[in-house]
Amino acid sequence: MGNFISLPIRNVKFNVKRLLATSKVKYSEDELVVALKRNERAAFEFLYDHYSGALFNIICKTLRDEERAADVLQESFLKIWKNIASYNPEKGRLFTWILNIARNGAIDAARVEGRKPAMDDIDDRAAQNERDTSEELSTASSEIKSIVNMLRPERKILIDMAYFQGYTHEEISEELKIPLGTVKSRIRTALQELKHYFAV
Amino acid sequence: MNIQAYIESGILEEYVLGTVSSQEKQEVECMSHIYPEIKEELLRTEGALEQYALKHQTLPPASLKDAIFAQMNFDEAAEEPESAETDAVETVSALQYDSDNTVKKLPVEIVKEEEQPLIPPGIRSGEQPEAVVIYPAWAKFAVAASIIFAALFGWSAMKVSNVERENRQYAADIDLLKSDMDGLRKNAEHNQTLASLYRNPNYKVVRMAGLEKSPQSAVVAMWDTKTNDILLDVQNLPAAPEGKQYQLWTIVDGKPVDMGVLDGDFDSKILKMKQAQSGAVAFAITLEKTGGNPSPTMEEMYVMGKV
Repeated sequence: MGNFISLPIRNVKFNVKRLLATSKVKYSEDELVVALKRNERAAFEFLYDHYSGALFNIICKTLRDEERAADVLQESFLKIWKNIASYNPEKGRLFTWILNIARNGAIDAARVEGRKPAMDDIDDRAAQNERDTSEELSTASSEIKSIVNMLRPERKILIDMAYFQGYTHEEISEELKIPLGTVKSRIRTALQELKHYFAV
Repeated sequence: MNIQAYIESGILEEYVLGTVSSQEKQEVECMSHIYPEIKEELLRTEGALEQYALKHQTLPPASLKDAIFAQMNFDEAAEEPESAETDAVETVSALQYDSDNTVKKLPVEIVKEEEQPLIPPGIRSGEQPEAVVIYPAWAKFAVAASIIFAALFGWSAMKVSNVERENRQYAADIDLLKSDMDGLRKNAEHNQTLASLYRNPNYKVVRMAGLEKSPQSAVVAMWDTKTNDILLDVQNLPAAPEGKQYQLWTIVDGKPVDMGVLDGDFDSKILKMKQAQSGAVAFAITLEKTGGNPSPTMEEMYVMGKV
């Protein structure tokens, strides 16, 4: 954490940009939305190439079973394709919209299984988070490592639970036995930090 | 309305994380609609979380992409030739249909044309020499007189009906003029009332401009700051469809407050709405089901204006 803060911000931004440039065809968010609404194959390919990793990660966090997670990703992506006309850019960013579709798909699938996503053993989750982080550590360059670890673990798990797994603040408070007020303030602080680092 | 306090309340974060109630969700959407600062903060939060999510990727199985795209169809490439083909087929069948019709019709017409000239002349030519009838002179006069009488009668009947028609026309014109006059008088009264309201310093004038849903729309709310009465002057608003009614809202402490529904016939009328609360910061009109809804449908917001 301390190390990262001393990193020059410009350097971080540059690296973030380079990391995101995974696809050949480039769209701005506005262009992408227009092309998606026109049902252009290239736009959907870009969407998939760009976001499927993040969506799959989120689905896996809730379902744990990669095969079922792949099914949910498929259903979610088809749902995005079918419902793109109903996406309203006025209401928020495209990613927030597609993430909601994927997250809800994962939560529904978990419910069908008869297991509330919130009933996961928390130690298991913490261990999984550790594992995620260490996997990321082993593969990523030092700059990425800094970005991933920029959140303190106790805040990171809150963001992951709320954002990736769709827990409400009350559920997190119950699960982690932390007062609701603390959950709210930690999430808020974590988001402030994220906003600061990504300077969007 | 303290925007900074609203941003710092943490509600935007909860909104982006998807943990707000549907009531709070509407509230945030309403606020971000009205205040660009709030919208910007919302987008910043969403953007930061998006970047964060992109840092945490798990690659799905490589075969999945093909499996998914195999189930999608993309109209531009696939459908155009298809639709062109069906068009072509339709025109061809239409042509066949047409040519069938003409083929069927033609022989019938030909037969008729042949029958008519052929048969009657044959009969007449056989009978004419035997049946020569001589009419008396008075009969000729009688025929001439009756023709003249019929012509005169027809002419006078025509005259009478013309007069009647003209009378009806005049009556209709007078009715039209009357209703025009009524309309003008009503307009004049309406304009006079409007002018006196706009000039009255007690009234705070809040202009609601059309949103992207209906950019031409414009409604003015006049707020009597002494009595908190709210009057509406609908300058331009599309007619509400069957089963729908416009509903006025104010934003008080960040929450939409129902101000009553608009009478269906709102043209050239000044509508009296519910009384405003003194803390109202904005007015907005949404299209709701007849009788109104307890909370506004944000997608159906037509006009909005800040106090």
